Amino acid sequence: MEDDAPKPYVAKIDRRTAIKWIGVVGAATAVAAGVVVYGPKIGGKPGAKGYGTDPNLVEPAKAAWPRLLTPDQLQTAAILADYILPASATAPSASALGIPDFIDEWVSAPYPDQVASRSKIVPGLGELGRKVLKASAADRATALQGLHGTPFFISFRKLTIGAYYTTEAGFKDIGYIGNVARVSDPGPSEAVKAALERELRKLGL
Amino acid sequence: MATESYDVIIVGSGAGGGMSAYHLTRSGLKVLMLEAGRYYDPATETPMFNIPAQAPLRGSSTPDKPFGFYDATVDGGWEVPNEPFTVAKGSEPFMWWRPRMLGGRTNHWGRIALRFGELDFKPRSRDGLGYDWPIAYDDLAPWYDRTERLIGVSGAAAPRGLLNTPDSPAGCLMESAPPRAFEIFYERAFRDMGIPVIPMHGAVVTQAMEGRNTCIFATPCGRGCSIGANFQSTTVLLPPAMATGNLTITTDALVYQVDLDKVGKAKGVSYVDRKTGKHHSVTARSVVLAAGSGETARILLNSKSSAFPDGLGNTNGMVGRYLMDSVGLGVQGRFPALENLPPTNDDGQGTQHTYVPWWGYEKQTELGFPRGYHIEIGGGRRMPSLGIGSYVGDDEDLVGDALRDKLRSRYGSGIGFDGRGEMIPNDDCYCELDPTVKDKWGIPVLRFHWKWGDSEIRQAAHMVQTFLEVIDRLGGTPVPGYETDGRKAISKGGEMIHEVGTVRMGHNDKDSVVNQFGQSWAVPNLFVTDGAVLVSSPDKNPTLSILALAWRSSDHLATLAKQGAL
Repeated sequence: MEDDAPKPYVAKIDRRTAIKWIGVVGAATAVAAGVVVYGPKIGGKPGAKGYGTDPNLVEPAKAAWPRLLTPDQLQTAAILADYILPASATAPSASALGIPDFIDEWVSAPYPDQVASRSKIVPGLGELGRKVLKASAADRATALQGLHGTPFFISFRKLTIGAYYTTEAGFKDIGYIGNVARVSDPGPSEAVKAALERELRKLGL
Repeated sequence: MATESYDVIIVGSGAGGGMSAYHLTRSGLKVLMLEAGRYYDPATETPMFNIPAQAPLRGSSTPDKPFGFYDATVDGGWEVPNEPFTVAKGSEPFMWWRPRMLGGRTNHWGRIALRFGELDFKPRSRDGLGYDWPIAYDDLAPWYDRTERLIGVSGAAAPRGLLNTPDSPAGCLMESAPPRAFEIFYERAFRDMGIPVIPMHGAVVTQAMEGRNTCIFATPCGRGCSIGANFQSTTVLLPPAMATGNLTITTDALVYQVDLDKVGKAKGVSYVDRKTGKHHSVTARSVVLAAGSGETARILLNSKSSAFPDGLGNTNGMVGRYLMDSVGLGVQGRFPALENLPPTNDDGQGTQHTYVPWWGYEKQTELGFPRGYHIEIGGGRRMPSLGIGSYVGDDEDLVGDALRDKLRSRYGSGIGFDGRGEMIPNDDCYCELDPTVKDKWGIPVLRFHWKWGDSEIRQAAHMVQTFLEVIDRLGGTPVPGYETDGRKAISKGGEMIHEVGTVRMGHNDKDSVVNQFGQSWAVPNLFVTDGAVLVSSPDKNPTLSILALAWRSSDHLATLAKQGAL
């Protein structure tokens, strides 16, 4: 890595918010980041409404509830998500897929599971932010490694993995090759069957 | 509408109502269908190839969409705004799934289409428990044949002659898609235990069928199917019924009462328009209730008159009684043997390709519980969901490439085993009108009473032990979170969404509310064609039987109508 400083996380939100954000941080930063910027919508209320029992399923609207994460928390989410899933030789990083936006959408949602998750994730991001946002690379690495095994890390990693592998890029990385119309289902290939037979023999089956 | 003259009003548009409309309109009768939910068009509303990333919260389950964002059910669920229900004090929990959409539950159902067997119709004769039906398997068999050929069911196989697991005659079923890797895999363990694994009967068009599109072997059936390659009332029954010109559908019409004329015959129904709150009464020469077992009972109980002060047909207190559900629970396992298999497309035909029918009919004394269960087994390299992070243990210190590698190798190595078992009707499970609670429009709501019997609890414990043994034989480990105590492991009442039996059929007006054709003993031009008429709740999922019974009953109704006997 030529640069060990974390990239400013620029979220994937609407243009209007992006323009507002650019006004704050400057267009140069935004352009350098290469993506549309997610502006914070501070003040999202826990009493926000869900999408209701009859949302459009074919063209889902973007989740309507206000987002709760601050710019620092969003940036911290990007650092942690990219620590969990940095870019590989063949797949993009978590932040490049907008995973921090998803975390924000998740912790801001008004439903019981998400509200419960919020109480774990948001304080965790605040605490981690103090250790990584202005830290040296070495201190940042220490802080991130120190998280392993904590309830915050476990929850955040699950969400990051889940959000990452439910995208087209995630499908490709994990080897999901379905969701295509087929004339017939030929069943597993000879290679799959042969591999399976080897395993079944080991089990005495 | 006031000027139209209808032969039949059908309340509900799901399996029972849809099939009734299909047959009655094609028999030349003028039908008005009233559906409590909104109009729904699978051709334009089904999110066929959408991926989780396009949905809020990656499509996760929420109280608004309990089976996930893309589940076909709209405008309803475990809770319906403005339409409460209650559970009696001291009762075990009860859940009630109510869609509010044209086609009802057939839009999202599991498409498992198993016939009840000969023992299922005569359970009391066999073991002294529960009640016998007024019909035998042979009475319904021709209607099963017709239903399978109409709706399209896969699972064709050479006849096996397994006890109480009927083989369909040649020509009724289509070939299933071949077993996937995980299905080949688990079959070996069951075979080792002497338990057969056979093709699932799934309401999916897997081969060329006239007038239907064939499955494209992609996208989950639970979202519904925009090309109508699986069975939904909205794609298979209602379009041909509409094409006759004999069907009128009114949606958002919440029926609450059957209206009687002076001589005690049904003259129509009253409903409230859920959108305007206005009350309407409509008339016809006969009435078919197919609103779902709970709602059908509620309508009868709310239909009070001087002749029926406790509700229509409830003179003997039978309406709402003998409420049943399926016993259900699941255990998941992880299998190192399935790791690192070459990528393969496991989307399949939507339903399971194979399953395990109940194998213990002749061992019921030694097993310690009288009735059986079948096993529905899911797995494979399906479209990842948000839960995919659980392939990595909380204590595994993985990030970066090591994490990616681990996920790649484990993806698809999980299998979920789900049991669905028979429940014996008991006196503690029923619904009645709540004495005080009313819905938004002032209509009394249902109050449920529930208590699993010991037979069900022991059956649930046996399910868990079976799944653990299979997981062990396959070299796997069970995913924590399961319970071995049957009382803790068993589903909640209603949770399997197989609630049936509140208006059961029988031999006479003392033991039942309707006869073998779903015809009310008390009001002969009133019929019930949904799951409410079931006398027992075999392990086999009820929808195919509801369809076959609805067809048989509608044929009887049509015959009586032609004879002028209604």
